[in-house]
Amino acid sequence: MATPAAQLRAKAALIQPRSGLEATLKRVLGPDYRMGFLFVAPIVLLVLALVAYPFCYAVYLSLTRKYVGMPPVFVGLENYIRLTYDGFFQRAVINSFVFTFASVAIKTVLGMGMALVLTSKIRFRSFWTGVLLIPWVAPTVVSALNFLWIYDYSLGVLNYLLVNVFGILKQGVGWLSEPGTAMASVIGVNVWRGFPFFGISFLAGMKAIPGELYEAAAVDGATVLQRFRYVTLPGIRNIVMIVLLLSTIWTFNDFAIIYILTKGGPGGATQVLPVLTYEIAFGAQRLGEAIAVALYMLPALAFVIIVLSNYMRRGRAR
Amino acid sequence: MVRGRSTARIERTQSAVSYAILLAFALFVIFPFYWMIITSFKGEVQMRSLVSMFWPSPFVSENYDHLLAKTEFASWYQNSIIVAVSSTFLATAVGTLGAYALARLKFLGRAFMASTVLITYLVPPSILFIPLYAQIRNLGLADSLTGLIVAYPSFTVPFVTWLLMGYFESIPVELEESAMIDGATRFGAFRRVILPLAAPGLLASALYAFTQAWNEFLYALVFITNVKLRTLPVGLSTFITGDVYGWGYLMAGAVLTTLPVIAAYIYLQKYMVEGLTAGSVKG
Repeated sequence: MATPAAQLRAKAALIQPRSGLEATLKRVLGPDYRMGFLFVAPIVLLVLALVAYPFCYAVYLSLTRKYVGMPPVFVGLENYIRLTYDGFFQRAVINSFVFTFASVAIKTVLGMGMALVLTSKIRFRSFWTGVLLIPWVAPTVVSALNFLWIYDYSLGVLNYLLVNVFGILKQGVGWLSEPGTAMASVIGVNVWRGFPFFGISFLAGMKAIPGELYEAAAVDGATVLQRFRYVTLPGIRNIVMIVLLLSTIWTFNDFAIIYILTKGGPGGATQVLPVLTYEIAFGAQRLGEAIAVALYMLPALAFVIIVLSNYMRRGRAR
Repeated sequence: MVRGRSTARIERTQSAVSYAILLAFALFVIFPFYWMIITSFKGEVQMRSLVSMFWPSPFVSENYDHLLAKTEFASWYQNSIIVAVSSTFLATAVGTLGAYALARLKFLGRAFMASTVLITYLVPPSILFIPLYAQIRNLGLADSLTGLIVAYPSFTVPFVTWLLMGYFESIPVELEESAMIDGATRFGAFRRVILPLAAPGLLASALYAFTQAWNEFLYALVFITNVKLRTLPVGLSTFITGDVYGWGYLMAGAVLTTLPVIAAYIYLQKYMVEGLTAGSVKG
């Protein structure tokens, strides 16, 4: 059975006699190769110059001893081996995982709550959706600075509310300067900024579930919880996976929030890999070691990226 | 009758719970912005002595005056506009052509490039910023806005391309085919049929690119050392002094930095929400 497109192509083949170089090129490179190559060329150039080449250069530099302004000296895996036994680095790895998993878990719960509330019977739905998305749009640095001010020990509003308004605490807390609260405080900011993305994505997934499924479940006597468990969750599983993995990458590599709020302090309590990379590179000026810090988790990152890109492509194909 | 009344009561309770949760979310989300805005209108004395905590009395403009007269804030604003607008144009132009080719045209390497674009979008800046800086410096572009304009496509282009690929794929192929049967060339069909249809998608993705470039922090922090050449996020972060007085004009700067993205967002909220869901995480 010939589709209209195939008929068109057959017609085009009749009009343009297949002969010589052009026909061979079209057969090998594809029928639209001229326009295709022309249109894609800028992206190929950009990817090569701004991502592929720097990435390869980074891998090379991580295998060298390189100080700013000096030529690199090849040392093999020395940087990676030394990092493996470096207590400060180990702590940053643990902190990065704690920061990432706690943030992503809380964002998932809040995002689910946001999506469920926005699908329930409420008025001015698009207004509420718009309001709840604002943290996601606002500049990260501005949000981090807002919270730095809110968390301020002597004049911050959080301590003022807890001590003077609600009387929950007798004395203010140094949210970012005490090791016990610093990590939770930076996680709070990441959650505040990131949960709307979870919410809006889950919401889109829920809207795509056919209403008949819920009606059928209701006819079968399913409770609200059962409907959520057996209709909603399976329906948004793909989106949940994509959002979780995407946010894991973003959160693991979040630099601005921690850099602005604590610079990894107090005493390394919130030190994470991206901030450590920056400090070794531009504080200590040891570039080779800094890049090794950034690339240490590359196998895990590559794994997540491959799984995620498969999910995202599958989402598109449907 | 009895059953109907109890159902109505359940529905009323449900909607009351919904509104309560909604309100809690909204308070959580809005409070930091409210706090930023009222802080920017408080005088130093009000802040230092914890008076008129939740509503400035009187409203003062000294923070804004200081910001514009005594700091480089105006130059930073200009720098941010130059960098964000240039990289938005670049990303949208390159991304539109590339996305169309990857979504529609048949040529060798198409599938490979489509995957590459997606993977590039997922590679985080934190592993690229050092080698990228070395490269920008070798090109003699360190400490210049051009350096940032050249570097920002590394994240804006893959994102815009990925977003628009989804958009182009959602436009029926038949529209182009009938234009071509009517005698249009492939390029003519792209320019006169597809581009106008994709205009909302182009607008949304341009807006994304603008927001990403406007908000970018790490590259701007690393590439720029000249105080006058800073962009807004980096400039604002240098206002952290540990002194009370700094907070007033810092928050004034934060308000002015947030305004353009929020304004753009309010104007294009519908497109953005749709783009966000249709483009980046359709599934």
